[in-house]
Amino acid sequence: MSYKKAEKIGMYLKFFILLVFGILLMAPFVWMVSVGFDRSANIAMPFPPRLFPDDASGFNFTIVFENGRLIQSYLNSAFVTVTSVMLAVSSALLAGYAFSKGKFKGKRLLFVIVLCTLMIPMEPRLIPLYKLFNSVDLLNTFWPLILPSIINGMLIFLCKQFFDQLPDTIREAAQIDGAGEFKIFFQVYAPLAGPIAATMVILSFIGSWNDFLWPLVVLSNQELHTVPLYLASFSLENGTSLGGLTMALATVSVLPIIVLYLFLQRYIIQSIALSGVKGE
Amino acid sequence: MAKDHLKVIAQPDQQVPVGSHKQRKRKVQVTWYLFLIPSFLGILLFLVYPIFESFRLSFYQSNGTIEKFIGLQNFQTVLTSQPFWNSVWNTFYIGIFQIAIAVPLGFIFASLINSTPKGKNFFKVIYFLPNVTSIVAAAMIFAFVLHPEMGIVNYALEAVGLPTSKWLSDPSSSKWAVILLAVWHWIGFIIIICLANLQAISPEMYEAAKIDGASGFQQWLFITIPNMGGTFAFLLITGWIGALQRFNEVYVLGGPSGSPARSIQTMGAFIYERGFTGFEFGIASAATYIMFMIILVFTFINLKVSKMKL
Repeated sequence: MSYKKAEKIGMYLKFFILLVFGILLMAPFVWMVSVGFDRSANIAMPFPPRLFPDDASGFNFTIVFENGRLIQSYLNSAFVTVTSVMLAVSSALLAGYAFSKGKFKGKRLLFVIVLCTLMIPMEPRLIPLYKLFNSVDLLNTFWPLILPSIINGMLIFLCKQFFDQLPDTIREAAQIDGAGEFKIFFQVYAPLAGPIAATMVILSFIGSWNDFLWPLVVLSNQELHTVPLYLASFSLENGTSLGGLTMALATVSVLPIIVLYLFLQRYIIQSIALSGVKGE
Repeated sequence: MAKDHLKVIAQPDQQVPVGSHKQRKRKVQVTWYLFLIPSFLGILLFLVYPIFESFRLSFYQSNGTIEKFIGLQNFQTVLTSQPFWNSVWNTFYIGIFQIAIAVPLGFIFASLINSTPKGKNFFKVIYFLPNVTSIVAAAMIFAFVLHPEMGIVNYALEAVGLPTSKWLSDPSSSKWAVILLAVWHWIGFIIIICLANLQAISPEMYEAAKIDGASGFQQWLFITIPNMGGTFAFLLITGWIGALQRFNEVYVLGGPSGSPARSIQTMGAFIYERGFTGFEFGIASAATYIMFMIILVFTFINLKVSKMKL
């Protein structure tokens, strides 16, 4: 009886610790929204902090939307992300499939090269890529952000792992029917790749949407700024003045992603876990 | 095995001369290379070429248009430059504390979530939430959250009687502001990875321990932790690779020079400052190569260390 009691107390204690720490983690978001609705926070941040502003108004949000730059940056980010994701996923599907089912010379070596790409950081490539896109006059366009997505070693690796689990017998059946390799891929295997494609979309979406250093280097034109670039330039310009506006801006840039995450949380968490477990 | 078996059966039926069979095989091989064209075009253009070009540039004095070969002078400039070593120090300082705090803490919370009978999914979603927001937006929020006079962190610290800090307005504490932000942002990732691997530990081991009378805590200590070696190794390696490349949040909080007083300028920020505010491409390239080597050596050491644990 007392053992059961102790277990129950332990259970409540665990739940309590998790709840307290969870609230601490969420506090910055709650405060962000609250200050965003506080017009006077542009002059002096409300202190002591309060959950509901004394003089709540949508003033800061009106300014953020009327200014228009955030909406423009959302559109830019959306365009870049969607095209990058499409390019990354289709290229990785093709390569992952070939590395899984293909029989050709140098397969192992080429796959090792793909794995090596995972080790190469962005920094040493920054200047040559900048010069490369400068030489073809593509700086301050979206091309430098989209084109390099064609190679993503992580996605190829995950995709190969996925196709490895599918049996070869389907292939052999189609081969006997005289189907070519491309036909087999598009009509037999690609339709089966839904789950891994979803994972790849999620992972490359997160990567592309949050990309910062490379866009910062190639996009000096403010009209082309993506969301992270706009946020950074606003933040560097204003420092810790204009608290209300900054928090309204942060809210509008963060909330849609949070809502999207809450809808897709199962798939997103699964994808992240997959990239970690398989990456071991 | 099954494949070979099938081939043996299929071959006698085909009744094709050996030569044309070989030709067909070659044609099939070529098709496979077509599948790889997009990826390898990308590798050549966006990975292999830049790596070599950057190596070449590190021996030149260059501003993008005029180039002059100067041998190892760029490396000498970087390796004797105080701001560079300062940025290395900052990068490692922030990285060490971020990892040393976030990994154990994340693992403990993953274990708690894993063992709580109610609200498992709720906590998982909540704890991962900071990680889905971009680090740039998070840094923007944290500039206010950590404000010495008006921020909520100092307010909370004072309310429970703990000493407050000047955070980002003082060079001696600014690195801890970045560490706090990094832990807040990264811990959800650690929890998700740990949870996935916690659930992969076979329940039979726990049952056997339970029969032997092991308490929950003993099970955690002697079954869970030893079984998580691979996970910790993964987190250590990815954590360090990320930490050594840190740029986004320090740029938002302190600009390219990592103010106050270069106290949060990381290696990435140093490279950005020299390369894209000063347009000293040669010096920046040499610095990227030194950074690249540091990352490779450090990853190698991490691999060795974590293998010893396994």
